Amino acid sequence: MTFRQFAYRNVIRNRRIYAAFFMASMFSVMVFFMYSMLLFHPQMDEGFFGDFAATGMIVAEVILYIFTLFFLFYSMSAFLQARSKEFGLLLLLGMEKKQLNRLVFLETMLIGAFSVATGILFGYAFSKFFFMIVREMLQLQNLPLYLSIKPFALTIGAFVSLFVIIAMTSVVFIREQRIVELMRGYFTSDDRQSYSTFKAILGIVLLVVAYAAATFTSTRVVFTLSIFLPPIAALGTYFFFTHTVLFFHHQVQKRKSLYWNRYRLIAVSEGAVKLRENARMYFIVTIVSTVAFLSVGTLTSLSSYTGQYRDLNPLGLIYSSELDNPLERQHIRLLTSELEEEGLSYSMVPFQIKKQTSSYTQFEVEILREADVNSLAVAQGHPLINLDPGEAMFIPYSENALSILENSSIQTVLEESNVPITVKGVYPRMLFPSMILGANVVVVSDQDYALIVAPLQGKSMNDSRFNFYAFHIPEWERTKSVGLDLDSQMTESIYQNQLNDLPFFFENPGLNYSIIRATFSLLLFTGLMVAAVLLLAAGSFIYFKLYTGLERDKKQFAVLKRMGLTDQEMINIVNRQLIPQFFLPWGIAMLHSAFSFLSLQVIWSDLADVSILFEMALVLVAFTFIQVVYYFLIRWRYIAHVKAS
Amino acid sequence: MPILKMEDVTKVYEGKVTHRALNQLSFEVNKGEFVAVMGPSGSGKTTLLNIISTIDTATSGYVTIDGMRPEEMTKNELALFRRRQLGFVFQDFNLMQMLTVEENMVLPLTLDGHSVAEMQKRLTDISSKLDLQNILNKRPNEISGGQAQRTAIGRALIHQPAFILADEPTGNLDSKASRDVMELLMKVNREQDTTILVVTHDPIAASYCDRVVFIKDGEFFNEIYSDERRQTFFQRILNVLSLLGGNVHDLSTIRLS
Repeated sequence: MTFRQFAYRNVIRNRRIYAAFFMASMFSVMVFFMYSMLLFHPQMDEGFFGDFAATGMIVAEVILYIFTLFFLFYSMSAFLQARSKEFGLLLLLGMEKKQLNRLVFLETMLIGAFSVATGILFGYAFSKFFFMIVREMLQLQNLPLYLSIKPFALTIGAFVSLFVIIAMTSVVFIREQRIVELMRGYFTSDDRQSYSTFKAILGIVLLVVAYAAATFTSTRVVFTLSIFLPPIAALGTYFFFTHTVLFFHHQVQKRKSLYWNRYRLIAVSEGAVKLRENARMYFIVTIVSTVAFLSVGTLTSLSSYTGQYRDLNPLGLIYSSELDNPLERQHIRLLTSELEEEGLSYSMVPFQIKKQTSSYTQFEVEILREADVNSLAVAQGHPLINLDPGEAMFIPYSENALSILENSSIQTVLEESNVPITVKGVYPRMLFPSMILGANVVVVSDQDYALIVAPLQGKSMNDSRFNFYAFHIPEWERTKSVGLDLDSQMTESIYQNQLNDLPFFFENPGLNYSIIRATFSLLLFTGLMVAAVLLLAAGSFIYFKLYTGLERDKKQFAVLKRMGLTDQEMINIVNRQLIPQFFLPWGIAMLHSAFSFLSLQVIWSDLADVSILFEMALVLVAFTFIQVVYYFLIRWRYIAHVKAS
Repeated sequence: MPILKMEDVTKVYEGKVTHRALNQLSFEVNKGEFVAVMGPSGSGKTTLLNIISTIDTATSGYVTIDGMRPEEMTKNELALFRRRQLGFVFQDFNLMQMLTVEENMVLPLTLDGHSVAEMQKRLTDISSKLDLQNILNKRPNEISGGQAQRTAIGRALIHQPAFILADEPTGNLDSKASRDVMELLMKVNREQDTTILVVTHDPIAASYCDRVVFIKDGEFFNEIYSDERRQTFFQRILNVLSLLGGNVHDLSTIRLS
């Protein structure tokens, strides 16, 4: 048996223990690789998804990388500690420290190579499936699988370097101890007074303060709070797991009528030991899960933002044109025929918008005709207006304007044509997308409209009027393929910064909507995958800890069984031990996220009136479900092992 | 009246190599008796103890403990039977590391759902008998081997079982602690009329018993009864052991002077 074979056999024969972090790192490699496949896709150059989504994906890659690094660091240190007895034996048999380091290095690299290889293999196998999901989200024609060296090179380069870092540094974890101490093994001394009452209470206080602040936050302080609250909550969580939990256990242990009660004696004392041994791990798991919940929750709420999109964009298509645009008729004909081709019903209202200077503000005002506004109002099912000559009404430029302008009353003269009007109130609905026209838009009676004949001062007639076509389309989401040609002309001129040279302006909210929706759902999908990796890793920590303690637990249950513990009682004890291990970190993470979302809600309702409660609930329920499944899976394996003793 | 009756008990381990651990072994233990079972390594002592403990079953033959037939009982009934009728003392004590001395002792009672008041009463009783009053709140890793074994004996006694089974109770103790533990078991046997079965390698430990049963290769070999003087009984035990032809390392090199 050569030295390498020895290392190899160590890994292969310890595969049950290695399985957990092999799984987690493999999954991480797999997701990383699939993202790389997408990033290096040949169709990327055609810009099939926005810069936003691409950046999100790169961020996800970085997070995955950093997280995997930390995860492996932690697992390795715990694992090497658990094997200290074995290392002590090897040193006793005359192994040099140098050789031991080499052994650990070889083992780590073996795991690394294996997980990178299988991760890429699975990643490639699932790439087609992944692409199909992305294609559906982006509603692309096709997104074929391709073979290129780049994603492979990136993934292999990234993770091999990661494993080399881990392998080089993890040997540090084998502390310089005397062989006798190593041989005694990984045994934590159980001193039950290992908590401080002060810190235990401080933990609770910090958490309560953080929660209260998050609940009663307001717009004014929310941004300040968002800087201070996370560290406070994190510190509170740390004290909670390292002190408060033990404090509560001790309170139970002091009450004999509670504590000396059937299998509770074993369950509580054992639970206290497990929680103490793993307090730091639970802290990490809690923080990781909170981050996972939060990122997914935030993304979910972003995608729910698109639900509000329609309210902000009440028109199906918008086309506006300068008077001397020779292509105007042709474009309109094109749009209407494309709409008919798609089988979409629509009503088109043409406006001619006139510009005048208001004597009241000396700003430009855009003037609509009462009859045109009423035709659009009919199409959209909004109330009609009735204006006498000399009367006028504001058209709202945004949702806020509805309340700001509601009671306004302004007397002004449209200077160039010398038409005096009284602008009173505001039209009660959003007729146009916000800011598509200027901020000063009024509707006047047909008679007054006819009186406006003079161009803006010092400008040609061409600069003083424009034609505006408002399309009302009930099935506005389906206009994605209408006016693509106009849209690409628009995009091109935006790229070349020559928007003003174009004699027309075209906007398709349906198309924009589908892009926004696709971007957000892609981001959400990305976030979900990352969260899944994090959760898997969190579960692996727990599994790994259980596994390292398994021998001791087996022996203990064997003794208890001999003393007359029934199988049912054993299962009860296992439940009592596992439930806190699984659901305490997770429950705290849930609480953290719930309260974070409470304050998020404050920011959110400020940005756009979107309630994220429902989306949040959905995300939390989904995570709960996954956690419960994971719990039963691990419990099943654990009980099978313990019973086998 | 026999509390344990074994009739032609045979245990065969199936596997890659079939192994006959016990072969038609028959013997009885009477109520209130203090019996040692001795035999060389591999003679089937552990198997015997597991069968009496009801955690293993014989391939053939009958075992009767306190009028009960373990093979006729369900797993649950067996667990309750062990919990109430049997007490165990192990070589490596097997105390629960996370429980204190007193908690370890009351464990059988808590499992059976006794009231705290009753547990306290019995605990005071037993701990003074075993001289453990001063270390009741210590953890197993904070006490000496002798104290740990006394705790384990306390745990085996507290529920007043019909039958105590001890597996090498002196195996991990020094000679002074061994003597204390055996004297303690003897005292318990005399004063409370508790039946005790000790499996041991140690002829000194065996010399405290009323009777020593020798087994070899899973079969009954011999048995001898104690006489007035423990020294002569010890010599007789040594004689049988040398006759048994057990390996030299099975024999204790220490002799009582």
